[in-house]
Amino acid sequence: MSALLVGMLAVPFASAALVLLIGHRSAGAGKGIAVGGEALALALACVVAFGRLGGAAPFGHTYASTAAVGPPIQLALYVDQLSAVMLLLVHVVAFLVQVYSLGYLQHDPRYPSYSSLVAVFTGAMSLVVTADDLWVLLVGWELMGACSYFLIAHHWELPEARAGAVKAFLMTRTADLGLLFGILVLGHRFGSYRISTVMGDIAHGALQLDSLWLPALLFLAAAVGKSAQFPLHTWLPDAMPGPTPISALIHAATMVAAGVFLVARTYPMFTNSTSALTWMAGIAAVTMFLAAVYALFSKDLKRVLAWSTVSQLAYMFGALAVGSWTAAVLHLLAHGAFKALLFLAAGSVIHAVGGATSMDSMGGLRSRLPDTFVTMTLGFGALAGVVPLVGFFTKDAVIGATLQEALDGRQVWTWVAWALFASTIVTAMLTVAYCLRAWLLVFFGDPAPAAEAAEEPSWTMRAPLYLLALPTTFGGIVVGYPELLFGSAHREELLHGVLSTVVTVLVVLVGIVVAVAWARRRDGDLWRPHPVPHPEVDVAYDVAVVRPVQRLAVLTRFYDREVIGGWVDAFSGSARGLGRVLRLAQNGNVQAYLMVVVVGAVAVAVAAGARA
Amino acid sequence: MPLWWPLLLATLLFSIGVYGVLARRNAVLVLMGVELMLNAANINLVAFDAYLPDALHSGQIFALFVIVIAAAEIGLALAIVLLVFRTHGHIEVDELRALADRDEAPEEVRG
Repeated sequence: MSALLVGMLAVPFASAALVLLIGHRSAGAGKGIAVGGEALALALACVVAFGRLGGAAPFGHTYASTAAVGPPIQLALYVDQLSAVMLLLVHVVAFLVQVYSLGYLQHDPRYPSYSSLVAVFTGAMSLVVTADDLWVLLVGWELMGACSYFLIAHHWELPEARAGAVKAFLMTRTADLGLLFGILVLGHRFGSYRISTVMGDIAHGALQLDSLWLPALLFLAAAVGKSAQFPLHTWLPDAMPGPTPISALIHAATMVAAGVFLVARTYPMFTNSTSALTWMAGIAAVTMFLAAVYALFSKDLKRVLAWSTVSQLAYMFGALAVGSWTAAVLHLLAHGAFKALLFLAAGSVIHAVGGATSMDSMGGLRSRLPDTFVTMTLGFGALAGVVPLVGFFTKDAVIGATLQEALDGRQVWTWVAWALFASTIVTAMLTVAYCLRAWLLVFFGDPAPAAEAAEEPSWTMRAPLYLLALPTTFGGIVVGYPELLFGSAHREELLHGVLSTVVTVLVVLVGIVVAVAWARRRDGDLWRPHPVPHPEVDVAYDVAVVRPVQRLAVLTRFYDREVIGGWVDAFSGSARGLGRVLRLAQNGNVQAYLMVVVVGAVAVAVAAGARA
Repeated sequence: MPLWWPLLLATLLFSIGVYGVLARRNAVLVLMGVELMLNAANINLVAFDAYLPDALHSGQIFALFVIVIAAAEIGLALAIVLLVFRTHGHIEVDELRALADRDEAPEEVRG
């Protein structure tokens, strides 16, 4: 088992190296290794994961340990139910993305580096979900940040791709400082960096309530950065110039899911710290609403999906904040399935209309792209929470948990819980509106000129859509029986009959409103693209961070050039000036030299005579 | 004969030689100045040899050595002067400044 686990972690990195070595010489071999390696990793992940689901005991193993001063840093892995489901999610999505990329990046000369980075990304996320040592987790965490930087900048000839990559890297790196310091605080406090040890100590240690507010808030900062929550939410939509399969990977399985996973993994620490939970609830309430509003008015299909990711992640944080661990993890899994489906379907739409991402250049694609239409409809339905699809059940579980918390008020401040509940309801309605709008704009109405010649892509791009449509459609069954995945330890009441009926009625009402707007529209869009009053967090960062750093850079340059460089220039200049004076003597006239010799000799003789 | 007579003669000759070396422009005349200085030294050597009781007469022997060296030197120097005249077309010493320290590379000597 332990060797199997190491093999599962090593396969993506090995295939990444092989693809880089071979892919540029033989395109076919590179593609074979990329997809085959990911298939092997998926098979290993299935073997590892299926043994841990349900009531099975978690598996932990320590491979190596340092003997340095202080708590030992251990190369330790740990697979429990949470790791198992995350491994399945990551590897299924990564495998489908690799298959999809065969068609999507068929003619891309950068395919080898792309697919090897995807493999490294997958391996890093697997490392994060299986790590039992906080430092090992940090390694995977940072590796993901680097991979996302490179993949967002895949089209590095575009300035917006470069800017988006730098922004994503800087913002997540800044937030990662929270994880680093949080690890140090936990290690100092508990004398161990083992997650299982520390969480066990917290769960059974009868600590004073809220005594762990500092590491909890630091971890929360890291998760907020990684999962693009307010006020660090701006990097995710700006990461859209990357290739669309990468957006699927980042949004569904790896990058942003890591933030939610971190909180879920260290959940005992958060349940101890109610102040961190209150902050989390507030952040989630603000984020989900804001992101939904942006998605409602965005013209760009990928940006709509990106903002919807931010909004859905906020649902997960909201569920975690109100103590509903199971609802959060189930929503994470469901979101992984349907968001991967949505992004891959969007990629196939974008591919079909020749690369444009604006919804103005789509429309009427229903008959042109029948496979994409069916699967993307299921994806949008799940995102909006339409009844039999998976998103309905998980989102309903989250909303029910927030209402329960607002009524009971055990963990977070009551008014924050009520605000969170209200935000979940309003956001659910907004979600329906923007999903329906995007769906109508892409697949109905008059086709744009670019959309008239659209054709379905090859089967490598269609098969992943259908495979992802399966969990999107039938995944809701799991919500009825969460103990199948998580065992009896996480038994929660996830189905809320009355509340779901109310939410469904609201969904239908919003749907009717949007349909009326669609019927009465005059030009292309349903409503005029209102300039949404944007809370100018980017401006705030600009004033507070970017400009001072730039001023400091100017000052440093001045100091380097004028002060340090000035000293060097003064020394060289004085030496040169002295040399110029001395050079006057070397005029080449031998008789002048001799004159100096004679005068000197006479002077020496006179001086000697005067002394004698 | 008192000692200061030859010493005075040697001083005059040496001064004329120094003047010739320092002030004349013609290379041959400069060389003649050098010869005058050498011979002034010879006069000194011979005069002191006669003045001081030395059984081996090392002053006179030394003067002979100087005469030989001066002959060799003037042969070599006149050959150099001849070559300078052939290459430059003149033997003006103060015009020969190819070895001066300049910013730009010195002008190449034409053959």
